Amino acid sequence: MGYLTDSLLTAIELIIGFDVEVRMTAWTSLYTSSCAIVLASLLGVPIGLWLGISLFRGRRLLITLLNTLMALPTVVVGLLLFGLFSRQGPLGSFGLLFTPMAMIAGQMVLATPIVANYVLAAVAGADDRIINTALTLGATRLQAALQLLREIRFGVMAAVIAGFGRVIAEVGVAMMLGGNIRGTTRTMTTAIALETSKGEFAFGLALGLVLLGVALLVNLGLNQVQQR
Amino acid sequence: MFAAIRAPSRRKELFFGVCLMATVMEMHNVQLHRGAFCLRVKQLSLASGYLYALEGENGAGKSTLLQLLALLQPPQCGSLIFDGLPVSFMPSSLQGLRRQITLLEQNPYLFSGSVRQNLAFGLKLRGVHGSEQRQRIADALAACGLQGFAHRPARELSGGESRRVALARALALQPKLLLLDEPTANLDAGQVAGLERLLVSLPQQGITVVIATHDARQPERLGGETITLSNGELKTGIFDGKRDYRPLNQIRSCSQLL
Repeated sequence: MGYLTDSLLTAIELIIGFDVEVRMTAWTSLYTSSCAIVLASLLGVPIGLWLGISLFRGRRLLITLLNTLMALPTVVVGLLLFGLFSRQGPLGSFGLLFTPMAMIAGQMVLATPIVANYVLAAVAGADDRIINTALTLGATRLQAALQLLREIRFGVMAAVIAGFGRVIAEVGVAMMLGGNIRGTTRTMTTAIALETSKGEFAFGLALGLVLLGVALLVNLGLNQVQQR
Repeated sequence: MFAAIRAPSRRKELFFGVCLMATVMEMHNVQLHRGAFCLRVKQLSLASGYLYALEGENGAGKSTLLQLLALLQPPQCGSLIFDGLPVSFMPSSLQGLRRQITLLEQNPYLFSGSVRQNLAFGLKLRGVHGSEQRQRIADALAACGLQGFAHRPARELSGGESRRVALARALALQPKLLLLDEPTANLDAGQVAGLERLLVSLPQQGITVVIATHDARQPERLGGETITLSNGELKTGIFDGKRDYRPLNQIRSCSQLL
């Protein structure tokens, strides 16, 4: 019991004291996940919108595929991109493996289906008169789609927040593509996994608390948005 | 000659309009299938600046015909002529045409945001900004008895109010062809009379109006020409463009002229 309370006290001390290691890993996590979610949104929002409003053969199949991708195991994404980025891989010459760039790419792959699915659900739940109303007022199909997006903006925000929650908390991609290099690719999750096994329990606990705090903020945000 | 027809003077426009029977929309041998339903229009021509009542039973295809007139649905066969030019359902050319036609749905949808923002939506798309935008919004709101509503949140209005906002939103665009799907359904008698007065005044502003109705006496009250749909087939309304079918209000304004 003493071990746990001592560790907790040390952890709180580390957080309050703005410990350099804690700050650095927290920053790396937030930075890579933010970049990843921006890119995933740029890709996932149009995909969800397009799947939601167009009618074509194979649409249902694509939606099923997107649902499957939502449950993509992080280590599988890590594995596939590892193959792409490793020296012998097709993108090996860019030297991206074990850089923040590789982590961002992996997390983007993870978050895009989530963002797209949430947007798709928001489009499905939207009033089906929106597109036609915009068209009758003289909008092009693209302008009508953008107006629809404006009408479901809270659903889109929820999509982005849910995607962010997924990538900030994942460990597989960050570990396999980032490699837990101190100062560049060490994120909160990889640091917790590896530092704890090295016996730095208090340090892991401090990061765990920060991560929980971020998760709490994300969910508070999601709650706020979904109540609108 | 063309310039004379398009002269800004209302008098000239009315005068030539009567002589040449300029049509705003024509349809020839049009068929539109929607599932088991089929809309067939052998011939229909809508003269510009007139009012038409479109009547028919529920499911006769009134809404489908309005959607077709609004160029929202391409027909499977047949041709449409808008303002003297054949309509091609290519997205690039459709855009300009659709901006001259506005359809007011039976249950109109108002965008979230203020009443003002709703009215500004279509104006912005047409590049109308600044003082002209403000003026047109104010005029449209006044015409629909909505003074002081500009900053109200549109989604919080009552049913009757939102329909008037939707009508104001359509009027602000000053379309050549205004299509209304049962605009007086679920309104009380006083509101119906007010709305009909407004609708009857629109042709004088050069707007061709088509009103779908299930109220058998409404066409008579509106004084326009009646188009009858039955089982997806156009019964009357095969106008040859030579008959003098000016609605009452139009005749009145012309007699003042001559």
